[in-house]
Amino acid sequence: MTMDLPVLSALFLTGALFLYVILDGFDLGVGALLLLDPDERHRDRMVDAIAPTWDGNETWLIMAGVAMLAGFPTAYSVLLPAFYVPLIMMLLSLGLRGVSFEFRYQTVEARPRWDAVFGVGSILAAFSQGAFVGGLIMGVAVDKGVFVGRPFDWLTPFSVLFGLCSLAGYAVYGAGWLHLKGDGRTRLFAEKSLRWITPIFLLLSSTACFAAYQIQPQVTEAWSYHVVPLVALSAVFLVIAIAITSRAHSSSFSFDAEPFVGGLIMFTCAMVGLVLTFTPNIVPFRISIWDAASPTASHVFLLVGALFVAPVVIGYSAFSYWVFRGKTPKEGWGE
Amino acid sequence: MPDAAILARTQFAFTVSFHIIFPTISIGLALFLAVFEGLWLKTKDALYLQIYKFWLNIFAMAFGVGVVTGIVLSFEFGLGFAKFAKLAGPVIGPMIGLEVLTSFFLEAGFLGIMLFGLNRVGPRLHFFATCMVAVGTVLSASWILSANSWMQTPDGVVWENGRLVVRDWWRVIVNPSWLVRLPHMLSAAYLTGSFLVAGVGAWYLLKKTNLAFARRTVSLGLAFGSVLIAGQVFIGDLLYGTMLKHQPAKMQAAEGFWTKQSDSPAPYLWVIIPDQKNQRNLLQLGTPWLGSIWLTHSLDGRVEGLKNTPVQDQPSMGWVFYGFRTMYVIAIAMFALASASLWLRWRGKLFSTRWFLIALAWMTPSGIFATLGGWYTAEIGRQPYVIYGLLRTADAVSPVPAGTLLSSLIAFIVIYSIFFTAFLVFVIRAIRRGPNETVEFVPSGSLKRALRPKIIASALGPEPISQ
Repeated sequence: MTMDLPVLSALFLTGALFLYVILDGFDLGVGALLLLDPDERHRDRMVDAIAPTWDGNETWLIMAGVAMLAGFPTAYSVLLPAFYVPLIMMLLSLGLRGVSFEFRYQTVEARPRWDAVFGVGSILAAFSQGAFVGGLIMGVAVDKGVFVGRPFDWLTPFSVLFGLCSLAGYAVYGAGWLHLKGDGRTRLFAEKSLRWITPIFLLLSSTACFAAYQIQPQVTEAWSYHVVPLVALSAVFLVIAIAITSRAHSSSFSFDAEPFVGGLIMFTCAMVGLVLTFTPNIVPFRISIWDAASPTASHVFLLVGALFVAPVVIGYSAFSYWVFRGKTPKEGWGE
Repeated sequence: MPDAAILARTQFAFTVSFHIIFPTISIGLALFLAVFEGLWLKTKDALYLQIYKFWLNIFAMAFGVGVVTGIVLSFEFGLGFAKFAKLAGPVIGPMIGLEVLTSFFLEAGFLGIMLFGLNRVGPRLHFFATCMVAVGTVLSASWILSANSWMQTPDGVVWENGRLVVRDWWRVIVNPSWLVRLPHMLSAAYLTGSFLVAGVGAWYLLKKTNLAFARRTVSLGLAFGSVLIAGQVFIGDLLYGTMLKHQPAKMQAAEGFWTKQSDSPAPYLWVIIPDQKNQRNLLQLGTPWLGSIWLTHSLDGRVEGLKNTPVQDQPSMGWVFYGFRTMYVIAIAMFALASASLWLRWRGKLFSTRWFLIALAWMTPSGIFATLGGWYTAEIGRQPYVIYGLLRTADAVSPVPAGTLLSSLIAFIVIYSIFFTAFLVFVIRAIRRGPNETVEFVPSGSLKRALRPKIIASALGPEPISQ
């Protein structure tokens, strides 16, 4: 039996990206929502809800990047220069967000300023990630395995739309996390945010789907092969978005985790949809995973390592979430 | 405008130099934190917990800046050096992948518990978390040093259809320079930690505040520092030999001579003004005889100059020479202080000798400068290659226009300056504020609140009434 190693590496890469989106997604969403809340004590509570676990969440992004470097160096060497501008923007924004976690606790007088940095960093990071994916959907100029476009090729109305869509999506998801981890004012704030952000997310994402289908013939073609699953995913996405909106309006969530789980399912649908659209390419519509793949030895080394180590990683990451389970305490962790 | 290759290199050099400061601090402090917490658990002496909490606060800030500036590097291989990424990705990619899996996640997973979890998991499990973070920093350094050492002394790969294919992972990972460079870097990080911990303590002793805290940290920091600097001198000598064998051009540049053979006896050069274009020094100052004695272990030995390497394969002498001298001079100062500390400790005057404490306080950040100097020697000394002997740096850059690179370089400089200023301001404030006078482990108390300045709690006042 022969194993198709590039496919396994692609699965690992997709898995890491998926974990990044569903874990750091709510961190970035909470960060973006910080700007909506003028009350400092309350912002402390929001940051407390993500502070103990954000670092591990963000590590999945490095994992995904490095898995691409190891398994698909051709794709890595095309996509990073092609998306140089949004990636630099994302890295700097993630930096601003990350240091704010530590620095906001160090100061009283300047804490609002660090919270603003935190919020702006989260928003720009969320936007850049969406714009990156939007740019991928619109296609990348490649010739003989080398990027041959210009630095701002990625910037189109569609990529901006997709950037805003990802920002709105993370905000919904972040509000879901706050609804789960917060009580009293925090939960109420989450509910109120869900009331208006969820419909915006739904509007942006449906527009993005429609636009992609209309503008990019490759998407039209790819979707024609997967009509049934894509319709099913869209239906689930739509039902959940409507359910979250209406329950947020009537304050009738039956359990606190409900909007978070809803957001999780929505992001899962979106990610599966993207994978169906791009497969079997890693540089969408141009370079397949086999054409971009490393020599066999590189796949074997990383995959065998991951086979043994990844379960342990997931184990203690889960343990860390378990340690900080339940509602975020009013006076920070431990009281 | 400078060309893209220069800008890509400048950007990488700037971001990696900035980054390495913070892991150096956090690798070093992680060990001390594990030691302090272990001592606290063993002796139940609350002073150790106080020391732990004080340094944990600074560790957390260094770690935070290290994480966010490290992420940049894992993408910068492709952003600035796409052709390097394409060629070397199959080799260093899996190594960095394993680094992420075995160490980044370990650090990140247990950092939350370390910072916020003392009252949630209890002291023993918390100590375990501290140890896991410390182990994570060592594993991380091992993989990164392995990947970087492979770029210095590539082994275990063959060319196949214009690609590098790994034939033997063992030889890739345990490449000729890794086994020496890893202990060298770890010692450097632990020395940095030692002098940080001891230096802050010395400052308190001079200011006559936090005396109990200060005595213990000075004593412990110097004990570690003394052992480590002795080891480092030995490891450094081994590394010198390894590099002389594998990268002679680097060591030729590091010693500052141009002619194929130096005069006999050779001086040891301290200051040079190199003129790379004409392959000579405009000025050179040194100590006579010392070059022969130190470098050839004889009274009349000659030292090899950079002209032994063809001009197109030479690194820039000024950077390598001064990087190396910075590290070397600091190492000598550390050695002298460590020796003095042993004498003073024996005489019972360690905490009361003013000149010594002043010197020690000045040496607080010395490890960081020495580490930077060492990395400049290593990385610039490898030029003009990015993978030594296999790929030239100029052939590795991304298809990104110079204007874009220049803009991102400016953005990095602006934002990293903010990081650095904030880090310095907050660390200096934390040091001035000093450790809390009384720290007790109260099961219901929050570690995080204890970590915050007391003023925050009072400034914020009681919880506002929520609707």
